[in-house]
Amino acid sequence: MTRRQVRARMRRMREHFDEAQEETVEINLVPYMDIVTNIIIFLLASVVNQVPLGTVNASSPTFGGAGGGGEEEKPALNLTVTVGSSGFTLAGSGGVMPPIPKLPTGDYDYGALTTKLTEVKNQFKEETKATFNADGGTAYEIVVKTLDAMREDKDGHMLFPDIVFAAGIL
Amino acid sequence: MTAQAVPASAEVSDRLKGKRAIRSYARKLADPEEITSLNITPMMDMMTIILVFLLKTFTSSALLVNQDQNMMLPTSTSRLNAKQAIAVTVTKRVVLVDGEPVAPINSGKIDPALKRDGDNGYYITPLVEILSRVARKEKKVAEMTGQKFDGELTIVADRYTPYRLLTEILYSCGQAEYANYRLLILKGRE
Repeated sequence: MTRRQVRARMRRMREHFDEAQEETVEINLVPYMDIVTNIIIFLLASVVNQVPLGTVNASSPTFGGAGGGGEEEKPALNLTVTVGSSGFTLAGSGGVMPPIPKLPTGDYDYGALTTKLTEVKNQFKEETKATFNADGGTAYEIVVKTLDAMREDKDGHMLFPDIVFAAGIL
Repeated sequence: MTAQAVPASAEVSDRLKGKRAIRSYARKLADPEEITSLNITPMMDMMTIILVFLLKTFTSSALLVNQDQNMMLPTSTSRLNAKQAIAVTVTKRVVLVDGEPVAPINSGKIDPALKRDGDNGYYITPLVEILSRVARKEKKVAEMTGQKFDGELTIVADRYTPYRLLTEILYSCGQAEYANYRLLILKGRE
């Protein structure tokens, strides 16, 4: 077998092999892979940066008629927590409690408010409603923190979770 | 005799060498030692599944809030999760209903011209109008689906929003029959 014959044979084989390759050609998925990978990285980065959101429930005051009677009704507590410029004021049907002044740092004393509300809750175990009111300039952040202090104590026991915003402001 | 045998054996040897070379070449073509391409189809399947899962997670999240210097949510210890509802957003500059600007805010106050009762009023006319329209639609939908209109909306407010402005917004929402509020917060302690 001469060199030329060997080369000719090899060339024929190569052509045959290339033809076979062309027949079983695959779709080039690499560009699609690039796009998908980029989208996945973007979505994963967004998930990592996503902040945990929650809600605090509150409602507007509603007006309703008196109950139909029959059962003896317990006296309503009508607890109202007011955020003033000097601190918290608690009031109920029985009267007004001594105010809770601000801390020396100038912050509101949320711990003392929770303690006081726990005392009230121990006397009115069935009561879940409380009215919230505040000074017009009170920041929303303080409102939310006060609602937190009203909702539950440090051990997670419910205090007054049904909060109604008072009609009007101080 | 010997002189003739030598070229004959050389010819045989050449033929054998040629055949060997062809066989070796054929083997090389059939089974290349170098991997020229990877089969990426299984990886593609996997990635497509991850992509679908992530997209599903994103679309099912209740609310997406963009926080910037004009809109910083307060933090709270509340464990309630955010629910899908009409969102009234109060930034430092504007009040929005579901992303549509309703009334501008200047120094924590709504322009008195946009309030029915002037500077001391609580009734923000454009907010009540838009929310009333939305409430009518929601009531119709609730009626058609046999459900009760719950009058719930989500308040997304900046942490420094003054209580006066917040009360005005809540009052206006109440006038449009939205009396149950979900105050959107960031979960966790500061």
